[in-house]
Amino acid sequence: MNRILAVAEYIFKQSFRNRILNVLIIFAVFAAMFSLAISELAQEAEVKMVMDFGLFAIGLFAFLTLVLSMTIQIFEETELKTLMVVMVKPIRRSEYLIGKYFGVIATVLMNLLVMTAVVMLVVGLKGGDPWDIKMVTSILYSYMGICVLAAVAILLSTVSTTVPSWVIYLLFIYVLGHLTVHLKNLVKDSAGAAVKAVVDFIYYVVPNLELFNLGDKLNSLSGIFEAKYLGLVFGYGVLYIVVSLAAACLIFDEKEF
Amino acid sequence: METVIEVKNATKIYRALDFWKNERTVGMENVDMSVYRGEVFGLLGLNGAGKTTLMKVLLGLLKPTSGTVGILGGSADDIGIRARIGYLPELPYFPKYLRVREVLEYFAGIFGIPGNTRKQRINNILETVKLEKKSEARVKELSKGMQGRLGLAQAILNEPDLLFLDEPMSGLDPLGYKETRDIILDLKKRGKTIFFNSHILSEVEKVCDRVAVMHSSRIKNIETLSDAVRKNGSLEKYFVGIVEGNP
Repeated sequence: MNRILAVAEYIFKQSFRNRILNVLIIFAVFAAMFSLAISELAQEAEVKMVMDFGLFAIGLFAFLTLVLSMTIQIFEETELKTLMVVMVKPIRRSEYLIGKYFGVIATVLMNLLVMTAVVMLVVGLKGGDPWDIKMVTSILYSYMGICVLAAVAILLSTVSTTVPSWVIYLLFIYVLGHLTVHLKNLVKDSAGAAVKAVVDFIYYVVPNLELFNLGDKLNSLSGIFEAKYLGLVFGYGVLYIVVSLAAACLIFDEKEF
Repeated sequence: METVIEVKNATKIYRALDFWKNERTVGMENVDMSVYRGEVFGLLGLNGAGKTTLMKVLLGLLKPTSGTVGILGGSADDIGIRARIGYLPELPYFPKYLRVREVLEYFAGIFGIPGNTRKQRINNILETVKLEKKSEARVKELSKGMQGRLGLAQAILNEPDLLFLDEPMSGLDPLGYKETRDIILDLKKRGKTIFFNSHILSEVEKVCDRVAVMHSSRIKNIETLSDAVRKNGSLEKYFVGIVEGNP
């Protein structure tokens, strides 16, 4: 456990020192500009738009933080060969990967907390409730989605040999993860058996990231915020993280440097 | 004499990274060698001779295609064995924004050095490699030679029984050569076993007990340094004679 914590702390510190926080400056400018742009709207619509925009921006910038943080790690491990020094130390390869995972999601969490505070502040200034339960739940699930993606990113890093290839694979999963449910609906009635089989395969293998996107359901009356639904989505997320990290550990264990 | 490294008929063949290609490259072939406790063993060879492959196989970073490799009576796959070894790669790199002390604290955490003795251990190591005044400096503020010394510091942080040094003089100035040599000799005096790769024959001559010459992926000869020099007049003549086919 201590070794996992040592790696997590190292990854977090390294990301922090590499100016990952600069993402937040762009986010703050982005949020301030948007707030000013919508100030002409009626108060009710204004609050709703700030919440919607805030959730969208948090999801996007959390993803950017993940990509930046992991890119630094993979670049140093593969191009600068820092991994060799660690792999000859008394640490299991699985411990290193899990430590890396926690370090990365801690970095994202730090940025996400600051972004959340900014969104809450703007919502409060516009006369809304900063502690709106649906908004807070949506942000938590947005983070859960990033945790799932981070586990996939770790898995992809064990099979990618260069940083560009890793980025391409991750972007592909990110886009597909948001589209997979729509693809399934699209082919439900019209497509042939072969197409359906391919879409089904993608649907069950690629993480369904749309599940964690509760933002667009903020004001729906469909009961999507019910505890049972949230519990199932949470369980799906945990399962996906565990399976992805287990697969990553198995592959990493056989890797040569 | 207690054997700390034992390699028997080990071969490493690299396969092409692309699975559709059937290319094979021989990294090392039929290597047999033993290294004994307390000795400084130098591995000499031209670029591409297979020295780094052999070192990586010993460290468990590469798996031999055939043959057996044992270190400290076990295998580098065992983390208990890895707790007793140190490794300095050629031109080590550390994250440039971290401080010297933070880098060592990270490795101390992995080694499981307890918090109450960690600070003292790090201070001692920094003093040994003459970086005590740079402990709060960021890695990017260090010269190439200082980064090499930081590499050496992380390699000896756990007081290893067996130390692997891959081109330890790389990037060092003449003073750095002397300081590194002094550290190696001090470790030897304390009964540590040191295995190192080097191109710099004059330094090998000053610290090694035995030398092996690797050429074309094979160990061509293993000899005590004194015999190699006595029979050939100098280490350079011994080395050139072997790589040119006249051992």
